Amino acid sequence: MKKTLLFWSGLLIFLLLSGCTVTTREVGSDEKVIYDEGYHFSDKKAIVDAMVKSLLSKPPLLRATDRPVIIVYGIANRTGEHISTSAITDDLRQALLNTGRVRFINKTQRKNIERETSYQYGGNVAAETRIQKARQIGAKYMLTGTLRSIKKDQPRQFRLKKKTLMYYSLNMELTDLQTGLIEWADSTEVIREASKPFIGW
Amino acid sequence: MLISLLQAGAVFSRRPGFRYPVLIFLLLCLGGCAGRLNKASARYYAGQPQQALELLEQGDHLGKRNQLLFLLEKGVVYHQLGNYQESIRQLLQAAQLIDQFEMLSVTEQAGSLVTNEWMTRYKGEYSERLWVHSYLMMNYLLLGQYDDALVEAKQALERLEKHPKALRRAYFTRALIALCFANLAEDNDAYLVYRQLANDLPSPVTVAADIVRYADRLGMADEVEKYRSFLPRNLPAGEAELVLFVANGRIPEKRPGNVVLPPSIRFAFPYYSKQTTPRPRMTILPEKWKSLPPVSSDLGTVARDSLAARKTRIIAKETLRVATKEAIAQSVGNKNDVAAEAIMRVTLFLLEEPDTRSWQTLPGRLTLLRIPLPAGHHKLQLKLNFPGIYEQHLIDLPEFEIRQGQRMFRSIRY
Repeated sequence: MKKTLLFWSGLLIFLLLSGCTVTTREVGSDEKVIYDEGYHFSDKKAIVDAMVKSLLSKPPLLRATDRPVIIVYGIANRTGEHISTSAITDDLRQALLNTGRVRFINKTQRKNIERETSYQYGGNVAAETRIQKARQIGAKYMLTGTLRSIKKDQPRQFRLKKKTLMYYSLNMELTDLQTGLIEWADSTEVIREASKPFIGW
Repeated sequence: MLISLLQAGAVFSRRPGFRYPVLIFLLLCLGGCAGRLNKASARYYAGQPQQALELLEQGDHLGKRNQLLFLLEKGVVYHQLGNYQESIRQLLQAAQLIDQFEMLSVTEQAGSLVTNEWMTRYKGEYSERLWVHSYLMMNYLLLGQYDDALVEAKQALERLEKHPKALRRAYFTRALIALCFANLAEDNDAYLVYRQLANDLPSPVTVAADIVRYADRLGMADEVEKYRSFLPRNLPAGEAELVLFVANGRIPEKRPGNVVLPPSIRFAFPYYSKQTTPRPRMTILPEKWKSLPPVSSDLGTVARDSLAARKTRIIAKETLRVATKEAIAQSVGNKNDVAAEAIMRVTLFLLEEPDTRSWQTLPGRLTLLRIPLPAGHHKLQLKLNFPGIYEQHLIDLPEFEIRQGQRMFRSIRY
């Protein structure tokens, strides 16, 4: 009796442990992998694609032929999660640059540009190879945005799973710096529902 | 089923009088072991935060039951040492862990039914779950990461919505949430938090100025009119603002409480002592600079409210545990002699230990002090007077330069 009990206990432990081995797999950048209701890397791709498409297919960029210069002033994170919105603007800028229809001011490197300019004029660099001062290009447009989220939990009641509804919206604007007018605005949304069990091992 | 599990486990011992106590002794060894946390707390309050950290970095030597507490304690110690980035790292992990605890573990609950609550992972009182976000908000504001502070403010609001009664008197955290909204010009949200705070504070005078400001911006003339009457006289104004997070005292410890009934029934429960932390009168030197009315919370009061909110659950589980243990004792008595039952009863009685784990390095009181200042260079001191004590404390604030429209944050603990 005891031996049988020991055998089945051993078998059960073996089966439980065999399910705890580490596994890894490659995930494609286009693949949608979603674990919960929160923000995922695939959301960023969907958001960027939608915004680039909208920007290029609507005025003022639709009709622009002079490769207008844009400065990105970042996306404000107004969600309840720590989301790196600079990753969205980086991808957005890259995708727009790749089209060849717009140019961007490198705002994040301004201090380094100043430092390098000072160095070139510090006496160590040959005069004929120095960059010329006051030749930087001013931006025509400013790109800004706000990422918001609304989270709704299922009301408390007797159940074994808890459902959560998550709504994300990214609003973006392109402002003409000379006139202060908003020349383009659009938004994109991600709505997701997830359920989690209340009870586990 | 639990009884048969226990009996099955006891095959290691052949003598009937010993097999249950042997197994339970092993369980007893696993439970009630928070020595390193207590030592770290003692070092911290002895003015040795670095040594406290060294102990905390070693972690829990018996599994991960106290993992949350190690993270929480490290979060406060790093904050105290001015390492706000590392404090954030620890507290974000703690917040993540708390979210995972929403799922009830069957094995853990079953284990705790025959032993005690020390066998379970410490999940934090409602108040402690809120203060994780309070410290994260402070850390982010001190680092100038205002978007991230707002994220934490929203998560803190979620906690407040989940347990409104238990956390009603967390005035400091609520004012901090409003400040995070105000800091990013989210006027409507800031107004809503201040408005709810005005309802719950003993007097709305403390937040009247903010309500009037945001109600005016939002075009709510009736609200402006209503709260204008609460505005204190000679309300200071300035081009910039210095915000101080002032922490003093020590949060009361959780203590063990017991109710013993014959033959060997023991109800054990934790409670916080009635201790409150005095609220000092704070003055800024030079005295020409005046502060806005401070918002202050006694953390012990909020902790007691939180534990009281959990009272029904604690009683229900304790009753279930007592019933389970009584069934085990009777089963042992039926299958063995009286001596075996007596040994079992004594062991189970001793095993019934209330869970007195808590976040120990927290202060007893947190105060939010805002000082409007003109733009420029400042060298200030904070003077603290405690009620009934003649002695006063003077704290030198580091010199700083403040720009027009800027809000500067500093954290102080004494």
